[in-house]
Amino acid sequence: MTNTWYLYLFFAAALVGAGLLGLLGKRNLIKLFIAIEVIGKGISLLLLATGFAKASILTAQALVITYIVIEVSLVATALALIINIYRHTKSLDIRGLTRLKG
Amino acid sequence: MIILFVVLPLIVAGVLPLVGKVSRRVLPDLLANTTLLFLLVYAAVAGRALIAGGPILQQMPWLGETVNIRLALDGFSLFMLMAVSLVGLAASLFAIDYMEHYGAKANFYALYLVMIAGMNGLVLASDLFGVYIFLEVAAVASYALVAFGLGHDELEAAFKYLMLSVAASAFIVAAIAIIFGMTGSLDFAAVAAALKELNAGPVLGIATAFFLLGFGLKAALVPFHAWLPDAHPSAPAPISAVLSGLLIKVSGVYAMTRIFLNVFGLTPALSTVLLWLGAVSMVVAALLALGQKDMKRMLAYSSISQVGYVVLGIGIGTPLGIAGGLFHLFNHALAKGLLFLTSGSVQQATGTRDMDEMGGLAKRMPVTAATNLIGALSIAGVPPLNGFWSKLLIIVALVQAGHPVFAVIAVLVSVLTLWYYLLMQRKAFFGQLNEKWAAVKEAPFWMTASTVLLALLCLGVGILFASTVSTWIQPAADVLADGIHAVTGSWGF
Amino acid sequence: MILQTALLIGMVLFSVLAIALKDLLKSAIALAVSSLLLGIIFFRMNAPYAGVFEISVVAGLITVLFVLTIALTKSGDEVRESRLVNWAFPAVFIVFLVIDALVMKSLLGQVPALASGAETGAFGDVLWKGRTLDLVGQIAVILAGVFAVLALFRKRDKHD
Repeated sequence: MTNTWYLYLFFAAALVGAGLLGLLGKRNLIKLFIAIEVIGKGISLLLLATGFAKASILTAQALVITYIVIEVSLVATALALIINIYRHTKSLDIRGLTRLKG
Repeated sequence: MIILFVVLPLIVAGVLPLVGKVSRRVLPDLLANTTLLFLLVYAAVAGRALIAGGPILQQMPWLGETVNIRLALDGFSLFMLMAVSLVGLAASLFAIDYMEHYGAKANFYALYLVMIAGMNGLVLASDLFGVYIFLEVAAVASYALVAFGLGHDELEAAFKYLMLSVAASAFIVAAIAIIFGMTGSLDFAAVAAALKELNAGPVLGIATAFFLLGFGLKAALVPFHAWLPDAHPSAPAPISAVLSGLLIKVSGVYAMTRIFLNVFGLTPALSTVLLWLGAVSMVVAALLALGQKDMKRMLAYSSISQVGYVVLGIGIGTPLGIAGGLFHLFNHALAKGLLFLTSGSVQQATGTRDMDEMGGLAKRMPVTAATNLIGALSIAGVPPLNGFWSKLLIIVALVQAGHPVFAVIAVLVSVLTLWYYLLMQRKAFFGQLNEKWAAVKEAPFWMTASTVLLALLCLGVGILFASTVSTWIQPAADVLADGIHAVTGSWGF
Repeated sequence: MILQTALLIGMVLFSVLAIALKDLLKSAIALAVSSLLLGIIFFRMNAPYAGVFEISVVAGLITVLFVLTIALTKSGDEVRESRLVNWAFPAVFIVFLVIDALVMKSLLGQVPALASGAETGAFGDVLWKGRTLDLVGQIAVILAGVFAVLALFRKRDKHD
């Protein structure tokens, strides 16, 4: 793999790491979902950088486009859930969602 | 026309909201269930003939141009299609009556059919990214289905399920990217051939670890199981049945097994990891199931435990072990589907899931009690029901492969399983009839009919286990035992 | 390459801001800017289609969805993030970056890769003819999302 791939990999990992840290620490439901979006960015960067390094940029674009479409559906569903939770608990705090024990 | 398995449910799902405006109950019920019935019959009747000559690959023309819709149907995929069709149809029939008081039935069936289409697509996909896409299709539908009741608990469970599941998906795509980077392709056959050439060692190990993280969470293996005991009980009963009976197996076990055995090849190290993961899930979840008062929560922990059995069986790597694992996957799908459906009947009749409040329900709901008993005994592994044979196969395979300790653990967990299921039977169905339930009636027609269907299947598969194994399980196990050769040989497009 | 690296740093910076900022609206805008930068990065990698998608869908559509949700969930009491997390997050992230850099440096040249052949065809062919099943999947996931939103926002008449 070319050296530039490792550069992109560094940044992609940084994004995924930031997102995971955000998931662990934040309490606001919308913030948690923004963290997930950041993870998604990291993954799409990784996909495209891999395609770029393998001279398969067209395939990689097809993959990334599909990935983004999936992400849109996920965002719509998750935000619908969040709005419903807000209607129930009048709060966006994850600490209000502790009725189930897991 | 195996594309029908994916496209037909999608088309019907697309049409359902319009149909739902015209007829709120009858037409959606009819459409959805006949679609699923058709797919089941198609798989059962045409499936074996289709694969008799080896795996079939479909490359289709579309509007005159050749496009690359590559679907692959081999013994393993057909086996999963059968399981999905059977349990999918049963839960869908159950939903005819059960979902009445939730409202928006057309919408429910639309989501349900999309989830089935996603699972079918996953099973038929022939490249890594195809597996991922359909996994997400089924997952997005399942988030909404878990939250369908729109109560506080359902929304909370769905939200946590979504968060964890999306994080897991990220790891799966990361692994796919790594494989793509190493081999330059996504197709199972090409990747398998390239990996053999590459001798990729440690980086392949990283990709494997990411896949384990991702698919392990989808399959709810310990320690990635935390979302399941909340999500499965909160969902409406037919959805719990499909989630526990099918989704964790299709997006978790099937995807993992297909990739690890047919594309990567099962190394001794990987086999050991799978054995340990399976064993830990088996034991921990069984212990946690013991203390549960909520009927569906106990069933949820039991699912985690039984999936541990399946992974344990497949992890052995020998043909017998794989056959045992797959057979147990099938049996558990039938039996756990059945148990969640009967729990739905009980919940609808009594309004509670707390087993301490129940008692003596067998007197008022005899059919439900009987089918529940069959399901429970099946999972606990009591002869001559189907669960007994699959567990026996796994235990024998463990001994044969030189893992006597795991075999002993498997037997002990079986005893534990029997114990907590008998507890459930005693608390909920037998014993003194609690006066609260004196006016309770048996469940409506479709709810009992679907549970009877599954119970009969459990009995039938148990009695006719030899022919079931040789007809459906053996071809699947052979594909997996072949390892990489199964895809590199005949899957080249 | 220098410009690309600068863009990458900017994108990561804005993403971290999106997670760390207190005001939700500012977070959403930071996320949008980050997506914009990522789109430009994609363009410079000879991936114009992915770049367009990233900008119009992620920086555009998803940001709109976020802003809509933020508007619909405005309340009197804001969610107070834990004070510990507020300073721990940047600190741990910097540690993570250091570990990340070290790992990447040690991985340089360690990842084996097959030499790849040149790619043939135009993007349209690759997407429509090469990855057609993905398109079926896209339709399916869009259906799933649409039905999910319809189900989650339906009028509840008698259920609790």
